[in-house]
Amino acid sequence: MAEEVVLMKGNEAIAHAAIRCGADGYFGYPITPQSEVLETLAELKPWETTGMVVLQAESEVAAINMVYGGAGSGKKVMTSSSSPGVSLKQEGISYLAGAELPCLIVNVMRGGPGLGTIQPSQADYFQTVKGGGHGDYKLIALAPASVQEMADFVALGFELAFKYRNPAIILADGVIGQMMEKVVLPAQKPRRTEAEVIEQCPWAATGKAKDRKPNIITSLELKPEAMEINNLRFQAKYREIEENEVRFEEINCEDAEYLIIAFGSMARIGQKAMELAREKGIKVGILRPITLWPFPTKAIAAYADKVKGILVTELNAGQMIEDVRLAVNGKVKVEHFGRLGGIVPDPDEIVTALEEKIIK
Amino acid sequence: MKEEIIIAGFGGQGVLSMGKILAYSGLMEGKEVTWMPAYGPEQRGGTANVTVIVSDDKISSPILSKYDAAIILNQPSLEKFESKVKPGGILIYDGYGIINPPTRKDIKVYRIDAMDAANEMNNAKAFNMIVLGGLLKLHPIVTLENVIKGLKKTLPERHHHLIPMNEEAIKKGMELIREV
Repeated sequence: MAEEVVLMKGNEAIAHAAIRCGADGYFGYPITPQSEVLETLAELKPWETTGMVVLQAESEVAAINMVYGGAGSGKKVMTSSSSPGVSLKQEGISYLAGAELPCLIVNVMRGGPGLGTIQPSQADYFQTVKGGGHGDYKLIALAPASVQEMADFVALGFELAFKYRNPAIILADGVIGQMMEKVVLPAQKPRRTEAEVIEQCPWAATGKAKDRKPNIITSLELKPEAMEINNLRFQAKYREIEENEVRFEEINCEDAEYLIIAFGSMARIGQKAMELAREKGIKVGILRPITLWPFPTKAIAAYADKVKGILVTELNAGQMIEDVRLAVNGKVKVEHFGRLGGIVPDPDEIVTALEEKIIK
Repeated sequence: MKEEIIIAGFGGQGVLSMGKILAYSGLMEGKEVTWMPAYGPEQRGGTANVTVIVSDDKISSPILSKYDAAIILNQPSLEKFESKVKPGGILIYDGYGIINPPTRKDIKVYRIDAMDAANEMNNAKAFNMIVLGGLLKLHPIVTLENVIKGLKKTLPERHHHLIPMNEEAIKKGMELIREV
């Protein structure tokens, strides 16, 4: 398959991109608003072309443990779900991080807590960047704001996951999953051969060779001294990721007196709010974290002395705002505007919040 | 050029597919497009709406406060979206679905009796294409040629024999639309 320009939903783009980047396996369980990922894969039947495995597991818990198995053998494997389903996966995600396994997880967030609604939300920010599962671990978290980024971040997520032997997650929401946009799909990359997997993943359980010790995939280490050494190794890796992998986008920030900080769908709506505010003569720029972890702390801190105020807009009650406040460390006013439970604000609401909470 | 459009009506009227065909036609013209449905546990007879943006430049928000054009196919949608048309913008409604017509004087209001025309054509499914024809007459966002290309892309091969009927419906809509 060559490069192709098409119109499709964000969820469909995830499925196409997974096949085209040479993924070996997808394991999932349907849930709105991301069911089109599994549906599209089933329709495309990649097992007949690239040999990619697609399996509807009996539950989200089973799916994440199938990912653990596939990743342990060095395969490029992934799962996707939406908020309640991702909660079910948390034990497996902690184990994947503890066993230092590369994989890709996709969360197309919906309103919570509990079963909540099926409409868009960003209330799983804390779950994604502050833990979710137990233990001191981090996920490389990518927040797409377009259907194109849904496609692009599949390959990027796998690349970073394998580079650092760490799970990566795409944190999207119902808006990005359900909307259709123009997307350029990359040309088909072949899946890696068994020999390439063995060469690129010397740590993986690929069959015991005579001349090396067995590779054991586990997160268990009963000796605390050894477990502390493992944890220190994880922490060193996390610092390296924080140093090298921060990604963010800035629009109209050069002359900005005020800043909107938002991720994913809210960054798109915030961008329109910025356009409307600029028509009124308000000099506002927008900073969009693309990686939620590692967070663009330094980039945001640099604005603390430059702008008069920062509005953080999220589809939650105030989660990323904590990381923004840590970044600016009290030097500038930071306020929050959010809608909850699946309600998505329109751009006017953000302009009003900017005027009332920040400018006054 | 940028057109921000809301299409709203009952589920089952072809609201989402009309938007999809419009978006695909825009893509055929090499434009940027966004199609954002208000999705939910909805069904035939419930309300459905979709925002379609066709633009020469990159599109910011898929969710809007105000629209250049509103296509309104039932009374609840009129009540929800009449106030959200930009001053100077257009509102198109189907006479069959609206009991209390729009009252704003700072927008251009058009009526299209698409439901009646579809019934005359003995083809209820032509309804949304008649309405689309009306919109394209007023705002030629995309050419008829590219709509046909869009239809070829969105319809499965087995339905391609229906394309001439759709073309006829679009032309019918272009004739029927009239200012109120």
